[in-house]
Amino acid sequence: MKRIILPLIAMFFVSNLVAQQDSKPSKTQFMIRGYGSAGFQALNDEGEKESSFNNGTFAPIILFKFSDKFMFETEMEFAYENGELETALEYANAMYTVNKYITIRAGKFLLPYGTFMERLHPSWINKLSSVPLGFGHDGIAPSSGVGVELRGAFILNGSRFNYALYSTNGPTLNDGNDEPEEAGILHFDNYEDNNKNKSVGGRIGFLPFTDSSTEVGFSFLNAKVGDKDSNYKDVSSNLIAYDFSFVKKVNSLGGIIDIKAQYNTSVTDDAIYIEVHEDGDEEEYTFENSSDSFYAQLSYKPTMSASNFLKNIELVGRYSELNTPEGAEWESNVNQTAFGVNYWLSWRSAIKVNYQIADGTGGHGGGRIDNKIFTIQWAFGI
Amino acid sequence: MKTFKIVSIIGFIGFATISCSPERATIVQGKSGVQLWSETCMRCHNTPSPADFNDADWSTIEMHMRVRANLTADESKKIFDFLRSAN
Repeated sequence: MKRIILPLIAMFFVSNLVAQQDSKPSKTQFMIRGYGSAGFQALNDEGEKESSFNNGTFAPIILFKFSDKFMFETEMEFAYENGELETALEYANAMYTVNKYITIRAGKFLLPYGTFMERLHPSWINKLSSVPLGFGHDGIAPSSGVGVELRGAFILNGSRFNYALYSTNGPTLNDGNDEPEEAGILHFDNYEDNNKNKSVGGRIGFLPFTDSSTEVGFSFLNAKVGDKDSNYKDVSSNLIAYDFSFVKKVNSLGGIIDIKAQYNTSVTDDAIYIEVHEDGDEEEYTFENSSDSFYAQLSYKPTMSASNFLKNIELVGRYSELNTPEGAEWESNVNQTAFGVNYWLSWRSAIKVNYQIADGTGGHGGGRIDNKIFTIQWAFGI
Repeated sequence: MKTFKIVSIIGFIGFATISCSPERATIVQGKSGVQLWSETCMRCHNTPSPADFNDADWSTIEMHMRVRANLTADESKKIFDFLRSAN
């Protein structure tokens, strides 16, 4: 995979440079953008301290516009972890603008489940160096899917609405056969469907004010999640998210106030799982498979300050929590509080200094969660 | 939870209905590209300068952002016409 991807990227860079030297306008347009980050982290996990420079990450985005209606986009992610180059395909999809109100996408795309993963997760946009609880690895909110989507936006009597409706392979239920400690958990990144049912999901967003400062959104995702030939074939999941955004330059405060929040719920039908004890005995158990997570973030950037230094400073605070099912092997009740001071070197590059406290119980290791993390991250968009 | 969902949906529809009016429509549709640029980009990220990209690049970014940020066609056209005219 890497042997193919790396030469392809090199080829794209070279062809892009050649294209830029040609002043004759082309109907077909090609562009490489993306983002990356590097940093330092100091962790205090229940008194055990460790620190290290973080491995850099690089996520090139390739945009290929064939016409005013047709475009292909892809994002890959490269990170160096455990002595190896890790690669991931964040998304790769073709999109076609049917008319002013409808665009169709097909392939792998970021899911419009709330707004965090689709719009806010890139390191140069995310105001903190971590993601809120409930997102990312072991999260309950899906980030991407393989399928087809219709989306668009319209203005109705002065209010803006946007919508997305999609069908994908959908989440997969971990039945615990291979990973007993994850029985009942959902996996979202599925290139192949594990049953004949396709997930249906969508989001509707509403911007009530004429200055677009405020947006509220409602998202849903429904799917059967069990393997088609297993005892879990009729198990379904129902995911719902509510999101809120307020961003406005407030003259009386001399800068930009940015508030973001999202609440996620995940409910999966009850099912019977098997716990294998150390002596080899098997025991059936079940639990109410409901999880939820929440985050709220407030940031302030004094853009109207007379000082050029202060203009580029941004203060951020975020609270998030995650509650997974009582009785599950992965039961947890965790909350996280994060604070940050960012210095913006340009509109797409920031040095973030963050301090984050996590407190709670559970997780894969069980027991108490009590850690504090100090990070310095340089994030940049290209 | 069920009550919360029902109240949320009814509140969403009610708020949407109340906030729609012909006067608002005139204001929104009369917005210039520079106004929309200053209001829209910062909903997710810092606002870029028109000089950051050339016309061809802005055209590519236009389609990408129209879809990613779910902008209306008219808003998108006004914003990127402004960016191409001011770079």
